[in-house]
Amino acid sequence: MKDPEVRPSAFKRLLAFLKRPSAHYSLGALLLVGFAIGVIFWGGFNTVVEATNTETFCLSCHEMRDNVYPEYQQTIHYSNRTGVRATCPDCHVPREWTHKMVRKVQATRELWGKLVGTIDTPEKFEAKRLQLARSEWARMKASDSRECRNCHSLESMNAASQKQRARKQHEMAREDNMTCIDCHKGIAHKKPQGMTEEDEE
Amino acid sequence: MKRSALYLAVAGVLLTPAAQAAAPADWNAVPATEITLFYPGVAAVEWITKGTEHGGARALRKGETCADCHSDEARDMGQKIVSGQKLEPSPIAGKAPFINARVQAAHDGQNLYLRFTWQQPAASGAAKMDEKNPVKIAYMLEAGSRVELAEQSGCWASCHNGVRTMPGGDEQKTKYVKDGSLAGGVYYDLNQWRSGENKAYDGHIAEARVMEGGSALQGATGSLSNGTWSVVFTRAFSGGQGDVTLEPGKVYSFGFAIHDDHASGRYHHVSLGYPLGIDAEAPIVAKRL
Repeated sequence: MKDPEVRPSAFKRLLAFLKRPSAHYSLGALLLVGFAIGVIFWGGFNTVVEATNTETFCLSCHEMRDNVYPEYQQTIHYSNRTGVRATCPDCHVPREWTHKMVRKVQATRELWGKLVGTIDTPEKFEAKRLQLARSEWARMKASDSRECRNCHSLESMNAASQKQRARKQHEMAREDNMTCIDCHKGIAHKKPQGMTEEDEE
Repeated sequence: MKRSALYLAVAGVLLTPAAQAAAPADWNAVPATEITLFYPGVAAVEWITKGTEHGGARALRKGETCADCHSDEARDMGQKIVSGQKLEPSPIAGKAPFINARVQAAHDGQNLYLRFTWQQPAASGAAKMDEKNPVKIAYMLEAGSRVELAEQSGCWASCHNGVRTMPGGDEQKTKYVKDGSLAGGVYYDLNQWRSGENKAYDGHIAEARVMEGGSALQGATGSLSNGTWSVVFTRAFSGGQGDVTLEPGKVYSFGFAIHDDHASGRYHHVSLGYPLGIDAEAPIVAKRL
């Protein structure tokens, strides 16, 4: 039998509070408030996740700011005639919620990398560039260049507006059911040294 | 009829074919094909077939020709390469990025007549590689597509890493073709005219480049007038070893290059592959006169 003189632990008291039926508030009121709090929390969660999907956030790590960002700044996705851009998350973070969450969970591994500094110097970054690139190419190939297709559509390309070489290559891509990343490696960042035949497509 | 008149008439009939075997009197009547030659830097056949370097390698594997993708942008390619931006480890300041040339072709059943005209680009002022010859012009012919990639790339199958004037190349190694063999019919027929020497060369490229030995090339004349070069080659349809035999109705792999500004080796301006047809549908057609 419990000693009535000793006060129960805080956790046990909390549990008891939660198990107790509501004495003053209606079920409806509780549900409404619960719903509102849920929305606030969900919104908060989403806001935080989306904050990690911005160029600013990505660039808060010097590994990105000093290596791949300057390279990207030389490309058409950064600056072009119409000013329509793709920034880091547009290519590297899926838009659909499920794919996005999966990617976010996978990306926690990068926190560990940041902690131990796997690519925190230019030399370390260059040494790992091929591996990093291949990992992204594999991800994009597996999703049939899903992030590219968020903006670009092979079927809707106006062949007459394209230059001869682009027109021919896209014709072949349609014929052979290719995916964007098969050819467009290096579209936003420098191609790594040491690519092999397997990297050709 | 008097006998002497008869002999004269017979002689006249017999001599007429020989009299007809001459270059067209009026080249203005022969249609011209405009072709832009560009400076190719160090883009050897090994480079153009490497997918991780050249996005067109895949197209080549599928049987597409270089011109299919690149014919509109030869100028841009030349500019990019000559500036050192791509494929040129030692750019030459002032070197022309491209040369706009015109090719005219005609034949009379015996000889093929090829006329090349182009504006002399401004001199770069660089050291002369070939003291004797300010300008050289050459073309290659290939029959039967036995040389791998000749049909698609023109002369490109003869350009390799490691040959003379290529970075780290062997001074003694000339252009060659893969599995080259005169006996096996795997060769390019090479005809060249050099301005300083004012001499025509008829050779071939199989395991190596040989500048002599052909007999099809009857001669070549060239002149510079008001800054415009005009070079005419007279080439018999058939020759000997290392000479591609030409026949009406057939199409041959063809490409040409100009060594401008006393250049030698890889420092020339080249054309993409543009097949030549003798009375046959092709990018360049030699019609019967």
